[in-house]
Amino acid sequence: MGLVKYVIRRLLYMIPLILGISIVVFLVMYAAGDPIQIATAGNPSITEAQRQFLRQYYGLDDPLHVQYFRWLDHFLHLDFGMSLYGGKPVNEIIATYFWETLKLQLVSILLAFAISIPIGVYSAVKQRSIFDYLFSGISIAGISFPVFFLGIVFILVFSFQLGLLPSSGAHGAPKLWPVFGIEHPLLDELVHLAMPATVLTLASLAYNTRLLRAGMLEVMRQDYIMAARASGIPEKKILFKYALKNAIMPLITLLGLSIGFAIGGAPATETVFSWPGLGRAYVTAAQRLDFPLIMGITMIITIMILVANLITDISYASIDPRVSIE
Amino acid sequence: MSMNLLEIENLKTYFFTEAGVVKALDGVTFNVEKGCTIGLVGESGSGKSVTAQSVLRIVPRPGRIVGGKILFNGEDILAKKESEMRSYRGKKISLIFQDPTSSLNPVFTIGNQLSDIVMQHNRVKKDEAAEAVVKALKLVKLPDPEEALTRYPHQFSGGMKQRICIARALLLNPDLLFADEPTTNLDVTIQAQIIALLVDLQKNIGLTLVMITHDMGIVTQMCKCVVVLYAGKVMEIGSIEKIFEMPHPYTEALLKAVPRLDQTRKLISIPGNIPNLIEPPSGCRFHPRCQYAVERCKEEVPPLQDVGGGHMISCHRWRELNGG
Repeated sequence: MGLVKYVIRRLLYMIPLILGISIVVFLVMYAAGDPIQIATAGNPSITEAQRQFLRQYYGLDDPLHVQYFRWLDHFLHLDFGMSLYGGKPVNEIIATYFWETLKLQLVSILLAFAISIPIGVYSAVKQRSIFDYLFSGISIAGISFPVFFLGIVFILVFSFQLGLLPSSGAHGAPKLWPVFGIEHPLLDELVHLAMPATVLTLASLAYNTRLLRAGMLEVMRQDYIMAARASGIPEKKILFKYALKNAIMPLITLLGLSIGFAIGGAPATETVFSWPGLGRAYVTAAQRLDFPLIMGITMIITIMILVANLITDISYASIDPRVSIE
Repeated sequence: MSMNLLEIENLKTYFFTEAGVVKALDGVTFNVEKGCTIGLVGESGSGKSVTAQSVLRIVPRPGRIVGGKILFNGEDILAKKESEMRSYRGKKISLIFQDPTSSLNPVFTIGNQLSDIVMQHNRVKKDEAAEAVVKALKLVKLPDPEEALTRYPHQFSGGMKQRICIARALLLNPDLLFADEPTTNLDVTIQAQIIALLVDLQKNIGLTLVMITHDMGIVTQMCKCVVVLYAGKVMEIGSIEKIFEMPHPYTEALLKAVPRLDQTRKLISIPGNIPNLIEPPSGCRFHPRCQYAVERCKEEVPPLQDVGGGHMISCHRWRELNGG
């Protein structure tokens, strides 16, 4: 009962936030320039009258507040309008890119989370061992190398040298996987996911492991760990039951944040691997000042972050009994 | 002849830190008679807690037992395999900690944490384990023991938490219980209740209790025999009467530092601090703070000697000071 009330209250709080963000982005976007000017810059024969016609056609010559409320009216009807490029509805564009981005991001976020647990725990237990130092090194390398660098190295090695994995796209390799020679849509997906997901996992793995390692080191010093030991509980159970549940809190926060930000995508990774994702679409839209598309993606990102935060808070309360959601 | 449940001989536990080797226990010897309550007394840092951790073999890193012998029921504890040792912890030897709040895991229910221990040692099902937990909680007089199973540590007061910790230590009827300053973090009225509970339990279930404390008041209330530790060495072992009558100079200083209502004398603190255990003082470790110290105390380590009737003293000057 309390939970339902809490969720409803939190959802209501989101309304002013979403409106506020939409207004700010709307204003910033209009301050950034004239999309018609940008779109027609490459065409020397276009006249000012034709430009004016285009502005009128897209409703860009109306007063700002009129434009905003028109946008808001559409938004409330779950319609983000038409893209200024290609004449496609923004809803359709987002729908195609959304799942590709979500797929790539969820796979890498969950992989990084899962892998970081044994590594983080082990690094803490074997503090200052060769394993710990080795993994610290790999972590720092993972953070320091930009994803586009890693991505290009991966493409060079696995696509061009070894010819194992497709270098771009999310579907349909021209020559499907020469190693196994099996054709299956799922395999096709996996083959395409392999490199971008690995690059993204490596990039975030370091944060996950460092956080968990620090948490574990702190928790392992606590009296309740020694008390468990003094009661004859085996070390493995102490680590993965008694200590981990206490140490994993910061990791849950990070997980929630990453899932929230996931939809913003990883523009660099998506660009390197020509991944048909929202991150890349967002950057392109910003460059072209494709107003409806910018607004649409911004709203999707905003809502995802807010919802992810809410889920994080609820899971926090379910893990730590001292946290109550009221 | 009475039997010793625990015999510790020349026990050495060192901590290998970056700053150097900390000799937390440097040749500790004492026995604990079965069914008896002894006090393990000393200032902070004297090695009381490390002694308990050594007997359970749970000294945290970078600490290690480097020498000596621990006989429990005549069996050599230090020769046991880790897996066998684990079956002793909580079942034959238990430990109660100073701070009940930090010694209960905050994110698991009382029932979950305590049942785990029962199930670890006895092959029983969940509900049987829960029954054993309820029984132990009743033993320590926790109100509503059944309901307590589903609750989390933060939902109890400090005194109740310490009762739960005592119940945890007694779940499997251990032979030996170390209580590591179990009342230090509680307020005074609760302290008295916990002490009364421990005295009661000790009598009723024939527990052998090692009361680790720096409070001489608790020692006089509870213990028959006292072991006084200073800087990782045993200064004195003796019955409570002997220790009050003819104490070691360090014990004497400790006794003078106890506030009493019935005396008008001033409280006298022991000058100086407990020494650095990486490079402990030469000779008798207490000599820099001892009002009776002479040249010999600086040079020669005084042996722990029986001065009559099981009263053991490690002091060069005790005999002459006590008219011997």
